[in-house]
Amino acid sequence: MLRFGRASFPDAGEGKARMSVDRSRVGGMALDTSPESPAPVRQIANAIGGWIDRLGAVWVEGQVAQMSRRPGMQTVFLTLRDSVADISVPVTCTRFLLDSLNPPLVEGASVIIHAKPSYYANRGTLSLQARDIRPVGLGELLARLEQRRQLLAAEGLFAAELKRPLPFLPTKVGLVTAANSAAERDVLENARRRWPQVRFEVAYAAMQGSRSAADVVEKLQRLDRDPEVDVIVVARGGGSVEDLLPFSDEHLIRAVHAARTPVVSAIGHEPDSPLLDLAADVRASTPTDAAKLVVPDVVEEQRIVATGRDRLRGGIAALIHREQTLLDALRSRPVLADPRSLIDARRDEVTSLRDRARRTVGHALDRAADDIGHHRARARALSPLETLRRGYAVAQDADGHVLTSVADAAEGAAVSIRLADGRLAATITSTEQTETAETEPIKTEPLKEGSDD
Amino acid sequence: MTDSDTADKNLSYEQAREELVEVVRKLEAGGITLEESLALWERGEKLATLCQEWLDGARKKIDAAIQD
Repeated sequence: MLRFGRASFPDAGEGKARMSVDRSRVGGMALDTSPESPAPVRQIANAIGGWIDRLGAVWVEGQVAQMSRRPGMQTVFLTLRDSVADISVPVTCTRFLLDSLNPPLVEGASVIIHAKPSYYANRGTLSLQARDIRPVGLGELLARLEQRRQLLAAEGLFAAELKRPLPFLPTKVGLVTAANSAAERDVLENARRRWPQVRFEVAYAAMQGSRSAADVVEKLQRLDRDPEVDVIVVARGGGSVEDLLPFSDEHLIRAVHAARTPVVSAIGHEPDSPLLDLAADVRASTPTDAAKLVVPDVVEEQRIVATGRDRLRGGIAALIHREQTLLDALRSRPVLADPRSLIDARRDEVTSLRDRARRTVGHALDRAADDIGHHRARARALSPLETLRRGYAVAQDADGHVLTSVADAAEGAAVSIRLADGRLAATITSTEQTETAETEPIKTEPLKEGSDD
Repeated sequence: MTDSDTADKNLSYEQAREELVEVVRKLEAGGITLEESLALWERGEKLATLCQEWLDGARKKIDAAIQD
């Protein structure tokens, strides 16, 4: 049994429509054909047409990717795209049906269509003939978004620990936005105002409509592969919930989740909150806000750097000054400033020792000199010369022997008499022996008598 | 260049300064031979020169950086 999984909704109104085919009847379509007896195209086309005609009407949901009204034609051709997969199917509907829709159908709108598959034999094309088209209501959209949010959140795609920090100075900023949009201008201008050297890699994508999500995913992945791109901004101005549907697209959310580059969502203004805001690493309230988040304010940074540099210089200058003062103090210490002081102390010591030595020796010499003088005086006092000066005389015989007895000299002998200042030559005329036996007076008397001669 | 000169080049400013302080302390404390004190004084002069070179070099670097 074939079954269109997405083909029915419980509240679709007309009850469940199911397209089913009885295999035995399909088998019945089989014709007896062989290379010898092939079937003509019309027969095959009719057979296919007949088979498709037997399929019932279904309810199908998708997005209107394309819509072409051709002037003068009662039939309008639509392309209905799957909201997730890149699968689409042609839809035909009457101009009357389309014009009766309120609000009018626009490209990108989510719709539920009641349609019957139909085979156009002339061209061999298959299309769904729309019998009814119902735009998906806002409330239902929001309910479905909420459901998707809960599913993805349960899967952990919005987890806080997955959020990566933005680089301080990105090599390149990737920007996914619509060409020439206000969002593009806001991001570029504000970022350049803060940091004029910022480099952007801009990838234009459709930011609205049924192709938007796939386009954004593709551009996001391209930027993600660029090694120079350090952060990716997805920017778009505000819009209606329908306008912003692509930014809640499950594929886009998964692509953002898978990206290794940090992603900043910058969709619309504060009240709009597509799921991209939850999946992105950082949520910016507006494209202008995103510009502030991805690049630093260069003036502010320079001021911080300048302050830091001033403090650094002040600090190092103070340090060197302190060390210089210390070194100067060390060098000005006498032992270093005037190393002669080292010698001086010792020189003084030597001088003083020498003085002491000299003084000591001097004293010793003086004492010795005094001693000598004393001894000399004594010696002088003891010398016979003094005795001679007192009037004594020494008598000597011709041989120089001192006469100590009258017996030593006979009458007529020549003697030499020594006085204090010279000698007298004398001849003995007589000798007389005194009674006293003492030697000294005997010695002196004759001398005296002799000198009296 | 002798080994001791090489060793001196590898001295950090703080090491040279600490040693200089120690040399001055020893010289001031006295109680050493003249030969020792002369050797210490020569060492002190050398260390003071090293320290001054460090400080001059640092000051030059800063001046150059500030010029930029």
